[in-house]
Amino acid sequence: MTATTESLHIQLQPFFLSRKKFYQLLHLLFLPPNNKVLAGIRNRANFHDLEEVHEGGKILQHFFGHLSNEQINKEKEEYQRLFIGPGPLAAPPWESYYRSKEQMLFEEWTYQIREQYHQFGLQFMKENKEPDDHLLLELEFMIFLTDKSMQEARPERILELIVSQINFLEKHLTIWIPFFCERVIENTNSQLYLGAAMLLEDFLIFDLTSLLELGEALTDV
Amino acid sequence: MSEKKNLKNLLNNKMQRRTFLKWSGAIGIPVIAGGIGTKMLVDSKEETTVLNAKEKEKIISTCSINNCGGRCVIKAHVKDGVVVRVSTDTQESGDLSVPPLRACVRGRNYRSMLYHPDRLKYPMKRVGKRGEGKFKRISWEEAIETIASEVKRIGDQYGPESRYVNYASGQSWGLHGGKNAARKLLSLTGGFLNYRNDYSSGAGNVATPYTYGTNNSGSSFDSLLHSKYIILWGQNPSEMIFSTPYREYLMQAKKNGAKIIVIDPRYTDTVIAFADEWIPILPTTDNAMMDAMGYVIITEKLHDQAFLDKYCIGFDGDHMPDGVPKEESLKSYLLGEKDGIAKTPEWAEKICRVPANKIREIAREYAKTKPAALIQGWAAQRQAYGEQFMRGGAQLACLTGNVGKIGGWAAGTGYWSRSDIVYPFSYENPVKASIPCFLWTKAVEKGTEMTAADGLEGTEKLTSNIKLIFNMAGNMLINQHSDINKTVKLLEDESKVEFIVVSDLYMTPSAKFADILLPGTTFFERYDIGVPWCFGDYVVFGDKTIDPLYECRDEYDVFADVAGKLGLKEKFTEGKTTLDLVKESVERTKKELNPNFPTFEEFRGKGVHHFKYDAPLVGFKEQIDDLENHPFETPTGKIELFSKALWDMNNHDEIPAIAKYIPAWEGPEDPLKEKFPLQLISWHYKRRCHSTYDNQPWLEESAKQEMWMNPTDAEKRGINNGDRVQVNNERGSLFIDVKVTPRITPGVVGIPQGAWYTPDKEGLDQRGSVNVLTSQRPTPLAKANPQLTNLVEVKKGKE
Repeated sequence: MTATTESLHIQLQPFFLSRKKFYQLLHLLFLPPNNKVLAGIRNRANFHDLEEVHEGGKILQHFFGHLSNEQINKEKEEYQRLFIGPGPLAAPPWESYYRSKEQMLFEEWTYQIREQYHQFGLQFMKENKEPDDHLLLELEFMIFLTDKSMQEARPERILELIVSQINFLEKHLTIWIPFFCERVIENTNSQLYLGAAMLLEDFLIFDLTSLLELGEALTDV
Repeated sequence: MSEKKNLKNLLNNKMQRRTFLKWSGAIGIPVIAGGIGTKMLVDSKEETTVLNAKEKEKIISTCSINNCGGRCVIKAHVKDGVVVRVSTDTQESGDLSVPPLRACVRGRNYRSMLYHPDRLKYPMKRVGKRGEGKFKRISWEEAIETIASEVKRIGDQYGPESRYVNYASGQSWGLHGGKNAARKLLSLTGGFLNYRNDYSSGAGNVATPYTYGTNNSGSSFDSLLHSKYIILWGQNPSEMIFSTPYREYLMQAKKNGAKIIVIDPRYTDTVIAFADEWIPILPTTDNAMMDAMGYVIITEKLHDQAFLDKYCIGFDGDHMPDGVPKEESLKSYLLGEKDGIAKTPEWAEKICRVPANKIREIAREYAKTKPAALIQGWAAQRQAYGEQFMRGGAQLACLTGNVGKIGGWAAGTGYWSRSDIVYPFSYENPVKASIPCFLWTKAVEKGTEMTAADGLEGTEKLTSNIKLIFNMAGNMLINQHSDINKTVKLLEDESKVEFIVVSDLYMTPSAKFADILLPGTTFFERYDIGVPWCFGDYVVFGDKTIDPLYECRDEYDVFADVAGKLGLKEKFTEGKTTLDLVKESVERTKKELNPNFPTFEEFRGKGVHHFKYDAPLVGFKEQIDDLENHPFETPTGKIELFSKALWDMNNHDEIPAIAKYIPAWEGPEDPLKEKFPLQLISWHYKRRCHSTYDNQPWLEESAKQEMWMNPTDAEKRGINNGDRVQVNNERGSLFIDVKVTPRITPGVVGIPQGAWYTPDKEGLDQRGSVNVLTSQRPTPLAKANPQLTNLVEVKKGKE
């Protein structure tokens, strides 16, 4: 039994690690841009290999291939226009905005998300100051869950964690992210955010499919 | 075994082949330590309480303090630190000593205002050209540092008169707020250029005291329960909330049998709700009708001669001030003794379009039905010669002897107040110079050239033009001031005003012109007390419902920090927080003004306090009952239908000593009508408070921004209901959808004021912001805003 447990734990490591890295990369792509973040991505993430298979990857490969200080300053402005303000945002990065009828923040989805964090002993640093359902937070939560899955040895717990991730993707991320990405894609000329949005949208749907398949396989075990 | 094999297959083959994971498995992830937003989820501080104790819904009573005339009770339903919905006063109607303070449609939207995604969230500094709208997020530290150093630099370089705090109508009432905080900071560092007056009743505020010695010419609303006849002249309380319970009293007055007449170019919601009769009239011609009513009253001997003899100066030749010819009297003017023009209803009909017989009928009814209340709104005084409108109404009230009597009304500006609280946050400005608020753009352009003729007071000459502007919670910087295109050009020139600070909730047209842009708080996020304008026997507690969202801050705290940078923090706050100010106000009000005032906890618990009185307040009752011991506050101690002070100004054509009709520039008699044949007015729309809430979708749904136009005018221009039209004059041009309706007088178009100026690439407004078309030419006496005096042409616009 012990051997099987260990083996499942070990068998799943590469899968979780790849997912974790993907979420980390997406998280980095949507952080406020600066030299350190963007140069870091350019130096370590190799978009060349993604270029062939994904349009977003191709755009990002081109972007990171021509990274300059001037370009980074432009992205800073663009980031502010898309996600920070002041004034109406081209692509508000909060789940509530896309799911509420009135396009408001702090609607019920914000609380559903908050409850998820609380259930895992987490809390948004700015709880009640800013909404809990910001894109970066939801991605950070996925990184957290993936990380937790990697560290977990008990198969039944691993399964539970996979179910949590499936639920979070199914009930939240994959519902609003396509609308968010549509807003980004429609409103930006930035290669960085165009590529990032395309990658984000496709990866989440892919990830949900993978987890569903894995979940089925594990239930069969 | 076979299942296990499946899993192995899946992991090793199927999934590995998936390019995404294959790729990400191979990449490196850069470690970004300490970057903004890198790790925002932390271990929950109070895991057990958070998990187990779901907070029950709490109801916190609070109050908005923008420049609405009323104050309603807003009940915030709060759960887990979040406002989940709002409701309003649940007080039953019926007992008018405790009228319900219920929110109108604007109040119902407050939760959406709080959680709207467009809220300003972080301090910003301008990075593009001024007005271009390009900003960069900065820290509060940098914002405060910049403000402190600019306040000092500009003060040192140009002197304190170069610093100005603009008129504003956002967070504009209450005990603290941005305007007062900025004024206090400037007072502590040398002072600032003062302004006088307002944009609401600017002409009236200066004119009415020439008649009565004061603007407090109103009576408490319960006095209306005794009225038999009420004229609402250009007043629209159904949309423009003068005081939250006003309409309760008006409805009761109607039930008591008062006949209600509404005189207005539009068939307003007030007409629908209250009026027995609607009298449409051309804008800027109200005084022609007033003159004719006076003519009818005098010639038919319906006037109250005894009242006029005893209390008034200037009615007839026997009651003129020394040194003024007899034929300058009001009576002489109305009869046409000097100018040869009797101010007959037929004369007036040609000007104002109200049929002569209708004028006769209204004049007779008003004079014969006692007591009668002629209540003036302020729209009709926001015109070229608005002073005449306010004094003209007062004149009629005097002719009929309706002053100082219960159920009557003295007309004029019409303030009344008998319930006050203590305001503990104060400042003393060492600078005595002041300008009329409407002339601030002039003080930017050529302040040093301004003289007493421009309304400059407190100094002969200013030492500097305006170089620094604090525009706190206001849209007067661009949107609400006249002639937007002109103001835009002025402010774009960064060599004129060198530094502009704006604090607001949203990216308004004014906020776009900030050099430093600060995110302000809503009333949900701070403590305060709400008092109505000047009418009403109630105050509403403004409880802090939730902590400020994002990085939003109260201006009081911001300016305390700026003062701190200049070594003046203690002088600024005197050790008090805004909550301390509220507590102090309550305690001192109870101690110094009114022992029946509740304690802080009682007030907070109830959310509202109604002051109770045994009898209505009747304006000028003391003077009328006992003139000898209670003279009017005028130079003669009497009501000055004829003002010697005005006479001595020696500008009789534009500033006459008695109220009279003066044809307005850009009025119906202006030859410019050939080119721009339609009169344009604006009104306070039910969906906005001035320009506040213009970006709120619910409210736009409740009342769309559209221009009213009469079918006859539309037909001539081939315009259909719902068409997009272009409205223009020599000052500007805007696009707006049109509502073709007989609810507006022919020859007049109306645009609800306060829509946010939204220029397209050619600079043409797409939202219908009326001040693109209004003029900066001030009224002659008060130097007030004439924003309802405009001639325009309308044509079918592009789709």
